[in-house]
Amino acid sequence: MNAAVEFQSVSRHFGTVRAVDRVDLSIAEGSFFAMLGPSGSGKTTCLRLISGFEKPTAGAIRIFGEDMGDVPPNRRHVNTVFQDYALFPHMNVRDNVAYGLMVKGVDRRARHGKAEEMLALVKLDGFGDRKPAQLSGGQRQRVALARALVNEPRVLLLDEPLGALDLKLREAMQDELKTLQQRLGITFVFVTHDQGEALSMADRVAVFNEGRIAQVGTPSEVYDRPATRFVADFVGSSNVLSPDLTRAFGGPARWASLRPESIRLTDGAGARASGRVTALRYLGSGTRVALEAGGQEIAVLVPSGGAVPGVGEVAGLAWDAAALHLMEEA
Amino acid sequence: MHSDARPPLGLTIAAIGGLLFLHLPIALIFLYAFTTEDRSYQFPPPDLTLKWFAVAWNRQDIWPPLYLSLRVAAIASGMALVLGTLCAAAMARARFFGRDTVSLLVILPIALPGIITGMSLRSAFAIADIPFSTWTIVLGHATFCIVIVYNNAVARFRRLGASMLEASADLGANSFQTFRHVILPNLGSALLAGGMLAFALSFDEVIVTTFTAGQQSTLPIWMLNELVRPRQRPVTNVVAIVVFTATFLPILAAYYLTRGGEETAGGGK
Repeated sequence: MNAAVEFQSVSRHFGTVRAVDRVDLSIAEGSFFAMLGPSGSGKTTCLRLISGFEKPTAGAIRIFGEDMGDVPPNRRHVNTVFQDYALFPHMNVRDNVAYGLMVKGVDRRARHGKAEEMLALVKLDGFGDRKPAQLSGGQRQRVALARALVNEPRVLLLDEPLGALDLKLREAMQDELKTLQQRLGITFVFVTHDQGEALSMADRVAVFNEGRIAQVGTPSEVYDRPATRFVADFVGSSNVLSPDLTRAFGGPARWASLRPESIRLTDGAGARASGRVTALRYLGSGTRVALEAGGQEIAVLVPSGGAVPGVGEVAGLAWDAAALHLMEEA
Repeated sequence: MHSDARPPLGLTIAAIGGLLFLHLPIALIFLYAFTTEDRSYQFPPPDLTLKWFAVAWNRQDIWPPLYLSLRVAAIASGMALVLGTLCAAAMARARFFGRDTVSLLVILPIALPGIITGMSLRSAFAIADIPFSTWTIVLGHATFCIVIVYNNAVARFRRLGASMLEASADLGANSFQTFRHVILPNLGSALLAGGMLAFALSFDEVIVTTFTAGQQSTLPIWMLNELVRPRQRPVTNVVAIVVFTATFLPILAAYYLTRGGEETAGGGK
């Protein structure tokens, strides 16, 4: 498989701030790639480096093997769905979608035909005559998607496109985006700070921290085998165990990750450790129990229906040996 | 906090008094355009007549200053539209060292007393050996007309936001296409308002003009000269009504245009 987008030791510094610091990256053609990280971690800057709105301070970016060094945004075969949608308020929906074709000089009939086709693709048939101000947030999002797809880009960049939508709509759009990507077969590069979104939609996830990539892998690799303490904590709020605690829990003296849902509470039998309950949080699908064990807080997820101890009680902790995942120092 | 209680009587009277003080003299200017007495402004006017409008129409010395004023105002505001918009575009998008200083320098001419602007331009023209012409007046007026357009345009640029311009480039548009299809339609009403305000300001400008006009006279300068002559005084008042209309209507229009712009911008959210 060819690489759609390749970063070779790319840095982008703003003064003394290293927004992106020596990043190497290869995004396979036709994949759904998520860039996940907290705000300020460099993921959006990476996206803007691909679209061309930022230039690397050092390093090279290639799109389908072609060096993008001096190629301005308007000559890259890459389109973006912006976080705030950035629809043109003075144009109706049809002209918004047809904009990319208009600036290429496609005649009115052809470009309006194509725009209607794109609107049908995002299930907005018949909305062509409306102005963006007359649409709901979800509808504007679809218009932005149709507008970005009209030029038939080989790579589609999405900058937190679902951030402004409410939960229900966001979940529906996640499924739709995934289906659309599989149907069109083009490469999607998706920026998000929502780990659930990244894990459920992407084929591969890059986890960003402080301008660098902490880990790249499939969602299950990133979730089950976090490479660093940061990844373990940021993706799925795992219990990060210090080397001392790992040894106390029966492992070697190294940093380790232990998922809250991998731990069972027992009343003694088979327990590898024990702790005192300090807090309970009811989540609907289960209860998150916080315990104090070996001088550190350990979270345990008890599925609904399971026995939940009271605050102050002592409970035994049990897990499969394979659940204790050892990590690098960082 | 809104209060349904009536304001105190004293405050109401003071407010009415203030408004009268500001606007009654303007009403008197209008009144004296109709008086039958043409040597002194006595009150009340002995009788009213429309004949001064006909007299003014037939006075050959009014037309050249009127044409000059219109020409200067049109050229100066046209020039301001181009330069002020370009300047606003640069200032709204770029971040560079000394940006705030440059911004202040652009706005300075409107804060600077006209007499300073006038003196400096006059000496500059003298040093560069430039003879007085329509263009020297236009240059003088352009200094403050640019500021008016710039202020209007820069506010709208800020509202336009960077992502819309990026979206246009992202979809393949070059800078000219982005300007033509995205910036201009969104800037239109702000530019029209700025242009009209600039026109109105230029049309009644006296101070800078006296330094840059030489022997030529614009309409306001003609009026100033006419006031010291005790002959056919009401003609000056007729011209005053013309000047009032030529400046007030554009300002009124500009006010409504920019107000409408805010409403559409709010509706987009």
